[in-house]
This record gives sequence, structure tokens and C-alpha cells, in this order.
Amino acid sequence: MPLPDFTLPGPLAAIARHLPERPAAFAFTTALNLAKRAGKLAGDWEFLEGRTVRIEIEDLGSGVTFTAAAGRFHPVGNEPEVRFAARASDYLKIALREEDPDTLFFQRRLKIEGDTELGLELKNHLDALELPAFLDRLRPH
Amino acid sequence: MRKPELVCPAGSLPSMKAAIDHGADAVYMGLKDATNARNFAGLNFDAAAAREGIRYAHAKGRKVLMAINTFPQAGQSATWRRAVDTAADWGVDAVILADAALLDYAAKTHPNLRRHLSVQGSATNYEAINLCRDLFGIERAVLPRVLTVPQVEHVIQHTEVEIEVFGFGSLCVMVEGRCLLSSYATGESPNTAGVCSPAKAVRWAQTPQGMESRLSGILIDRYGNDEPAGYPTLCKGRFEVNDETYYALEEPTSLNVVAMLPELMKIGVSAIKVEGRQRSPAYVAEVTKTLRAAIDAAVSEGARYHVKPAWQAGLGKLAEGQQQTLGAYSRPWK
Repeated sequence: MPLPDFTLPGPLAAIARHLPERPAAFAFTTALNLAKRAGKLAGDWEFLEGRTVRIEIEDLGSGVTFTAAAGRFHPVGNEPEVRFAARASDYLKIALREEDPDTLFFQRRLKIEGDTELGLELKNHLDALELPAFLDRLRPH
Repeated sequence: MRKPELVCPAGSLPSMKAAIDHGADAVYMGLKDATNARNFAGLNFDAAAAREGIRYAHAKGRKVLMAINTFPQAGQSATWRRAVDTAADWGVDAVILADAALLDYAAKTHPNLRRHLSVQGSATNYEAINLCRDLFGIERAVLPRVLTVPQVEHVIQHTEVEIEVFGFGSLCVMVEGRCLLSSYATGESPNTAGVCSPAKAVRWAQTPQGMESRLSGILIDRYGNDEPAGYPTLCKGRFEVNDETYYALEEPTSLNVVAMLPELMKIGVSAIKVEGRQRSPAYVAEVTKTLRAAIDAAVSEGARYHVKPAWQAGLGKLAEGQQQTLGAYSRPWK
């Protein structure tokens, strides 16, 4: 069953806006590092070394900014080189391969600002991954 | 009536598998360099992914075509020749070539490797196609998207070379193999560097007036908050001409031939191609699934064939500009 469209509840965003981003960013990059160590992030991620990417969840009013150093992902506080912005449900649809990022871009549901080439390279690297089975469990049955 | 082959795009291994799993008869792919016309950062195949993709396709009885469809620049032809050698070594089913010297190299060095003339070869008449057959032994030609259905039929009636036409995907100004618009702004074009509007030259920015799309600093469009966006190419920009701002060259649209599949089959089209190696596996899966169903229905239903609303809705959602057209195929005024 395809994932339904949803917007995170307003009160959640009201709370999230006042929380520091670091803990969420730490959880996010730790998950990436674990996935990489488990061989779930195949391919060459060298292009992310020393680059700063921000993934913003619009309906949460918050996001994570991270970089890669010596092959590991870390949260950072500095200005990102490229910034993605979309709703949580649209990120999930991209991850589940239900929606094509170009489609969401045409429909203005996915925004990319800053270094477009870095953003495109990241998108194409994610596309080249075989979909991990755990993602499928996020789908409503 | 022969059933045309469905040829689908693969910019990555998951896209290739998605195309095969959803019913593509053939997939086309390229290397991670300027030898193909979708030379985008992070896209395309290295040796490991290509070998796995070819193994996967062949295990299911499908074909893999390799696009080497840009034009070698002076002093660099060795890279393009090496790409042809690589294709032969990997055992792809055909190479899709545009450059005459490269076609000649392939014909002489790998006579058993099937050769298709790329859309970038810009052959729009049967004389050009037959000349390529005589000189380089091409077995298929991909027609540029500029001919009407009667013109396509005229080509097919005068050549033994198989004819492949585009069936779905983003349209551009279609000066195929000859477009230099992107070079004008960025110094790179599909013909030379394998990329139109290279990402390094593209910048999007949210401004109080809307989202601005710039190419090498040149403002090519500004989208209102809920206005659909298109690819950041010069040909699809809105420009001020005589105090009026509009799509002065071409609007962002997608070709969709589902409604005229029976006609294309009747005139003897050998293959129907889907554009979009730059797109994600989700797009490839949806378009392949829909065109597979439509082609199968056109064969089995004959005169009772009708376009299912669900097909058009699914394809419409993925279309650039969210407008679909029959393109040059239909020119009622002609």
C-alpha cells in the first residue's frame, strides 16, 4: 500500500522548533554511520568529505546539518553548502522509492538551494543504493 | 502487426532492475563520463554495477544497450573508442552511437557488436539512415522527435533498418545532436560534455518574488509559490521579449504517445523508447509498468484499444511541467 500524504501535527513542530538540533542530527549521523558499517551504503561517498549538507523537514520546522570526515558522518553547526527542504512524508516517499525526486521538484514539494551539483551527486548516490529491507517495514500494510 | 520493443532508461543499477522487473524488453545505460548524453554527477555505471545489471537482464532474457552518443572532441577520441571496447567486453546487446568516426571504429573493430544510430545522430530521413547502414552496418536508428506520424511511416517504408521512436519523457527544443544553447551559457552541451545545463552551473534560490532558477548566473525563470517547475534549461526558461515575459522557446512538457500506440504499431515502429536516465527508480518503475500495460493492451485489444485513465494519471504525475503532448507526431494543421 502506498504511503499516504501527511503533514506532521502543528504542536509537534511548535515543540521541535524550540529544541536544539544537535541531538537529532547526532542520531541521524549515527544511523548513517551504522548503515555504512553494515554495508548498507555501498558506493564511493568520498565526494561528501568536508562538504556540508542540510536536510530540512518543513513540517517540523527543523532539520539536520552534517558533514563527512575520514569516512564518518558528523553533525555540524556551520552554514550548509546545499540545503534540501521537504515535508517528512515526502522524504519517506523518496526513501521508499514511491516518489521520484525530480517529480517532487517539478511539483515544488522538494526544494534544493546552494551547490546544486553536490545535491545532485547525493541524490544520485542514494538512487544507486539497493533499497534496504527495513525501509519496507515503514510502509503501511 | 509486430509488437514494438519497450526500451527503458537506467541511470543506476536499481533503475535498471526496476525497468526489467516492470516489463522493459531492453534497458539503455551509459558510463560515468562524457561519452554519453547524461553525464551527471553520481549517475551511471561503473564496471561492477554494469556487469551485475547485464547479468540480471540476460538472466531474464532482456537486452542491455549502451549509449556512447556524444561527439568525441579533438584529441580525445581514444576515450570514446575505449568505451566501445568496454561495451563489447561486457557483452552488451548493442551500442547506441552518434559520431560517424566512432560508428566506423565500432563496425571495423567489433563487427559482431550490434550498432544503433542514436537520436543524437540526427538522422530524420531514410537516405541518411540507409547511408549509415551502407557505411557502418547500423541495424536500428532512433528518430529525432521532430517527425509527424506520416513522416515516420515514410521513413519506415524506405528502409530495412529498424526504427525506434520516443514514447515518453521530457521534451526540449529537439535540435537533437546539434543544440548549443547550453554551451552558450555554460560552455558545455550534451554533444560535447554529455550534459545540458551542468549542475555546477545551476542555482535555485527562494526570493520574495518566488523561486529563481539561474544558469551561470543568467536568470532563466522565476516560479510563483505553487507554480510547477521545469528543468533548468535555457530552452524552457521564460524570457522578456518585447515587454512580454513568456516561454519564448519551449514550454516544459512531456511527450506521451499512449494514445497513439496502435498507429505507431501499424506503421511498423520496432521500438518505443522512454526518456529519463537522470530520473530515479520510482519514475522508471511507474513509466515502464504503464507503457508495458499499454503496449500489451494495444496488441491484445486491437481496435477495441482504449487509453485507461489510470495510465494517463500515473504518467501525468511524473511529467515535467505536468503537461503531456503528442509532440511532433500530431500536426493536424500540416
